Amino acid sequence: MNVLAPDATPSRELPWLPRQSAHAAVAIAFAWAAVAAAAEPAAGDQAAIYSEKIRPLLAERCFSCHGSLAQEAGLRLDTAALMIQGGDSGPAVAKGDPDASLIVDRTNDPDPASRMPPEGEGEPLSPEQFEMLRAWIAAGCPAPPDEKPEADPRDHWAFRSRVRPPVPPVVNTGWAKNPIDAFVATRHEQAGVVPQPEPPRHVLVRRLFIDLIGLPPQPEELAAIEADPSLDWYEALVERLLADPRHGERWARHWMDVWRYSDWWGLEEKHRYSAKNMWHFRDWIVESLNADVGYDEMVRQMLAADELYPENLDKLRATGFLARNWYVYNRDHWMEDTVEHVGKGLLGLTMNCAKCHSHKYDPIPQADYYRMRAFFEPHLVRQDLVPGEGDMARDGVPRVYDGRLEDPTYLFVRGNAGSPDKSRTIEPGVPAVLEFEELSIEPVLLPKAAFQPERRGWVIDTHLAAARHSLDARQEAAGKKPSPFTAQAVAVAKTRVYDVECRAAAMRAKWAADDAAETEAADSVLEGLRAAALTANEAAVKAERELAVARAWSRVAEVNEKLQAAFEEKKDAASLAAIGRNLDAAREAVEKAQKALDAPIGQHTQLPGAAWAATNYVKANEDDPFTGFPETSTGRRSALARWITDPRNPLAARVAVNHVWARHLGKPLVATVFDFGRKGATASHPELLDWLASELVEHRWSMKHLHRLIVGSAAYRMGSSLANAGRSAAIDPDNKLLWRREPIRLEAQVVRDAVLALAGTLDPALGGPPVPKDEQEASRRRSLYFWHSGISRNRFLATFDDAMVNECYRREQSVVPQQALALVNAGFVRDSAAAIAARIAPRAAGDEAFVDEAFATIVGRKPTADEVTACMAAMAEWRALPEARTEASVERPLVNLVWSLFSYNDFVTVR
Amino acid sequence: MTRNLISIGAAASASDRGGRGRRGFLADLGLGFTGLALGAMLHRDGKASTAAWTPPDGRPHFPPRAKSVIWLFMNGGVSHIESFDPKPMVTKHAGKSIGDTPFAGVLDPQKLSIERRVGAGAHRARTTLYPLQVGFRRHGQAGVEVSDWFPHVARHVDRMSIVRSMWTTDNDHGAQGQFHTGRHMLDPVQPTLGGWVHYGLGSLNDELPQFISVGTRPYWNRRDGDYLGPAYDAVPLRIDPADPLDFGRPERPVSAAEQRVAFGLVESLDRLTGVEYPNDPATAARIASYELAYRMQASVPGVVDFSDETEETKRLYGLDQPHCSEFGMQLLAARRFVERGVRFIQIQHGGGAAGAWDAHSAMKANHEKNALSVDQPIGGLLTDLDRRGLLDETIVVFATEFGRTPGTEGADGRDHHPFAFSVWLAGGGIKRGVVHGATDELGYHAVENRHYVTDIHATILNLLGLDSRRLEVPGRKRLAIDHGAAIREIIA
Repeated sequence: MNVLAPDATPSRELPWLPRQSAHAAVAIAFAWAAVAAAAEPAAGDQAAIYSEKIRPLLAERCFSCHGSLAQEAGLRLDTAALMIQGGDSGPAVAKGDPDASLIVDRTNDPDPASRMPPEGEGEPLSPEQFEMLRAWIAAGCPAPPDEKPEADPRDHWAFRSRVRPPVPPVVNTGWAKNPIDAFVATRHEQAGVVPQPEPPRHVLVRRLFIDLIGLPPQPEELAAIEADPSLDWYEALVERLLADPRHGERWARHWMDVWRYSDWWGLEEKHRYSAKNMWHFRDWIVESLNADVGYDEMVRQMLAADELYPENLDKLRATGFLARNWYVYNRDHWMEDTVEHVGKGLLGLTMNCAKCHSHKYDPIPQADYYRMRAFFEPHLVRQDLVPGEGDMARDGVPRVYDGRLEDPTYLFVRGNAGSPDKSRTIEPGVPAVLEFEELSIEPVLLPKAAFQPERRGWVIDTHLAAARHSLDARQEAAGKKPSPFTAQAVAVAKTRVYDVECRAAAMRAKWAADDAAETEAADSVLEGLRAAALTANEAAVKAERELAVARAWSRVAEVNEKLQAAFEEKKDAASLAAIGRNLDAAREAVEKAQKALDAPIGQHTQLPGAAWAATNYVKANEDDPFTGFPETSTGRRSALARWITDPRNPLAARVAVNHVWARHLGKPLVATVFDFGRKGATASHPELLDWLASELVEHRWSMKHLHRLIVGSAAYRMGSSLANAGRSAAIDPDNKLLWRREPIRLEAQVVRDAVLALAGTLDPALGGPPVPKDEQEASRRRSLYFWHSGISRNRFLATFDDAMVNECYRREQSVVPQQALALVNAGFVRDSAAAIAARIAPRAAGDEAFVDEAFATIVGRKPTADEVTACMAAMAEWRALPEARTEASVERPLVNLVWSLFSYNDFVTVR
Repeated sequence: MTRNLISIGAAASASDRGGRGRRGFLADLGLGFTGLALGAMLHRDGKASTAAWTPPDGRPHFPPRAKSVIWLFMNGGVSHIESFDPKPMVTKHAGKSIGDTPFAGVLDPQKLSIERRVGAGAHRARTTLYPLQVGFRRHGQAGVEVSDWFPHVARHVDRMSIVRSMWTTDNDHGAQGQFHTGRHMLDPVQPTLGGWVHYGLGSLNDELPQFISVGTRPYWNRRDGDYLGPAYDAVPLRIDPADPLDFGRPERPVSAAEQRVAFGLVESLDRLTGVEYPNDPATAARIASYELAYRMQASVPGVVDFSDETEETKRLYGLDQPHCSEFGMQLLAARRFVERGVRFIQIQHGGGAAGAWDAHSAMKANHEKNALSVDQPIGGLLTDLDRRGLLDETIVVFATEFGRTPGTEGADGRDHHPFAFSVWLAGGGIKRGVVHGATDELGYHAVENRHYVTDIHATILNLLGLDSRRLEVPGRKRLAIDHGAAIREIIA
């Protein structure tokens, strides 16, 4: 336990004594004594020390090269016998003689170049660890008699192909509702635990509502369902909720966690991370889930919609998944995020651990990390213009495209971007252990609309409309406030309309000529078209120059106006002189623009249909040069997407169903949701996991099918209470065998949404741009629409463990006092309580009836007699306060009661 | 996790209500802020492929020398050569290019290669030496030189250890986060030092947050706890008795009496839940969290309300001086939190762009003004802690993300300088009157006893009785450089 000693153990003569609490001092003294006692190794029991300390130490520092993953120098160190047997250089240990043991020599070598583990591969052994190793060798290398070497990593369960397991027969047939329960019940029966009974209907209804649409049932809905006499009320409710558009919003937020949704952020206004208009990706998730697009198809679109559906702007939104990793300053950082989270999120693979050296636990050589990176090496981010908005910073679809087709991928020595190994170019590929057939990567020839996005039907119209709209606005402004400046602004706007018209005509003429050249048009026709294009280009170039002149004049008018104002305000000479200099500069600019009118005709500027997200890698504070939108895409990402979503991929479906299961049941089947490798947790119910994955794949990866199966199971419908569960709790206190439901603390978004929904003030609008931070307080939109980025977090949601932007494969469910303060003190909670009280009060005859209704509304059930007593007592206390006499539309004690119920444990809990 | 398992079963009934003031309750539970991070711990059970791992129990690993930390961080980068590491050679050779001085060796590319830039471009050498903009004087028995911008701090040199040989790697303000986490901003994110302290140590006061952040963090507004969980994030605090905490007071008119009844009712209902859902740790934790919230709400405003401080004390911190009263109030509040057992108070000085000290131009005016706003409060803090006997158990740290270039930027500025800078520490277990480490004649490189930022972390953790290696979380591998090594030479 005390293998790693503190760097400097302070003298014990000067123990710190806390000022306030003698108890604390005693506690610390005890703790120290316990630590000190545990620090002494149990002398003599070297075999135990080997098992508990030495082997784990060697596993951490040595096994990745001298174990089942690799056998450098023919040596394995994963059993004592193998150490004694040794490798190319002879035995690693000499029983009883540490000084003659190679392992002692090499781990203690003063020369870092020959010391083990090699630099960069692992920390050297500490003096304490080194002594421990020596002592064990001196004792004769004792080890457990049945010591087994490490298993072959390729045999790890998650890397083996998935086979649909047979549904086991069960004894408790009365309990089971579908095959899920057969897998669960089998384990119950083996262990002797008994599933907790199904809770009352109101518990199930609230559970389903929150789970499937992220909102609690309204009291009227709940009452209607409770009164439903049909036998299939549960199934009918499930269908209704799965068909509700709010289902997509609810589950989109889950997937936004896993897929690392982030709106753009930077330092103040400077855009550094993610992409503008990222909300299109969020809306795509919501819509796809509502339409029950298969998980496989969603993943394909996320990774490669630009190759698979290059003309479909709706589907291109999916690539926001990749665009989210955009980082203005550093390409390697961007690539690292991409590789890490494609690995963790879609495959449950910690690819990131192989960046600097081969993976320490999984069969992923270092080169595989860079092979994975190579899939993404060519891709860049751009905004595609959407109909009706000419300014792509305000709205556009952020999406990826292959723009760096020739960029090589190199392995970075020790992961250091400054040390690329240029002796060989790394080609895209997947880890050999997971390859079921040779990956085929074919370049994709893109349609014109993809690499000439300005050709899309709406682009020119949008620019024209924007110019005309601007003219209308300027004319209106000039009418309201006539001045030389506003008049000049109108002139500029008019010129701009003309300019856009000319450029539109030039672009169309050019396309006509180009397209004709591709068909076998007659030479004369072609010549005519080319001449027309040249003429149109000339007009466009001139129009652009006229616009420049008009703008220069506009600046002169603007400065003139300032100068005039300064005269009137009797500003000092220095200020006037400064403005005068500006005026001179503005006039010079006019002259320059006028001179340019007669310059030789070049090429006009195109009206853009897309805007490259300019990076800043080459020169400080300067956009990198735009390299154009290529006519082909490498096909790398669609090949990767096909491999991930191939039914034979052993990981993808397992990882996906584990995520879905975790959110329904409150805990996953594989606890390490992003690591299915050898260092990850083993599945609590491996056959169930595989059966669910098979169901998903065999039902066209339909997530609604999966939801139906899971919420339809008896395992899902169990009660969460520990009442009368003594025997099961004694056998399996951690509920590993799923003999009861785990209660779930509502996610941050659900807490806020539920409060507003019950108050009837939640805005039902779907989709659209995110609500900025300073508008969130007043906003009644669902919380998934709040701006969510590295620096913009809502303070209420943050209190309830909102998703970390960087990585959130599972939400935390903490219980901290700040949550109590937020629920008690937040203005919107109190306002909501007042709204609910005002709604209930008129129809509740007396306090007791009010308590009944308030309980039913907030918690989804009637109160017990004791609960009524407690509420009535509190009401009486509130009524006795002078505040109770405050003028208000609804009595304060009633508001107070509803408000208090929002703090009740079972409001924030799914039972 | 089992420490949170308590029974709140059928014994509870409506008549048990009115539990305010049952001080024993929390003590029975052994719950502090840390203990309440229940879900976080339940989650981590899943990560236990390393079966032996258990979360920290809130007790030090070995006898601590200090109980609290006041962490003063100057955003933007303080010029080391004009604060705590005087370099007369810079003035002597002012106007010359470094290459034309006897110290041309400092530009050795090998030495400069520790720099790791986030964005484009290579090292921007500021090679024309710019004279020191301030004088230095010797102070204290040790005769340590401190610049005239810090006269109040200088009176305490005999109480502090100055480390003049710090280095970091980020050439830009990502170094702010790096100083707190130990990781360059392009590396995977790590918790900050305050988060680790919070995680490792139990609370000394259940009524107050254990880890507090005051002031602005323009450049690294991140969650301190990171993968340790949001329970270990710093609680942002304002020095305003009327509104010190987010949600620290009702946002709509609700009286204290109404609230008290509400808290009582909520507790009764939560306890009654035990009838149907006995032995539910989450309910137990929630009951405790409401008790804490109730007391926290009542306690925190009092801590930042200075009406019970003497005028002399207020003057000591410069509260009567407009140029330094804001920082003075923050430091006085820090002392009051320390008195009440708060573990880690992180105070960031200087907002605006990337931090107030970022003197790319007008170096002299910038540092004069900034020093004026922090010097007297810091001097006052050290005096006050000392006379109250608190300095022995409180570590005060003065830090910044990097130094500034000996060469000039533009006409009168200094640029970022990651190769050398100074920090100082005082109090709990820190040696008195020590100058540790040294830079070369130009203050260009740390040359003697060089220390990366995590050595400061290790020193502080050591004095708090913690071993960072024993705080590691399964699945979150930390490297040797993350742990750093305690600076033994400055530990008493």
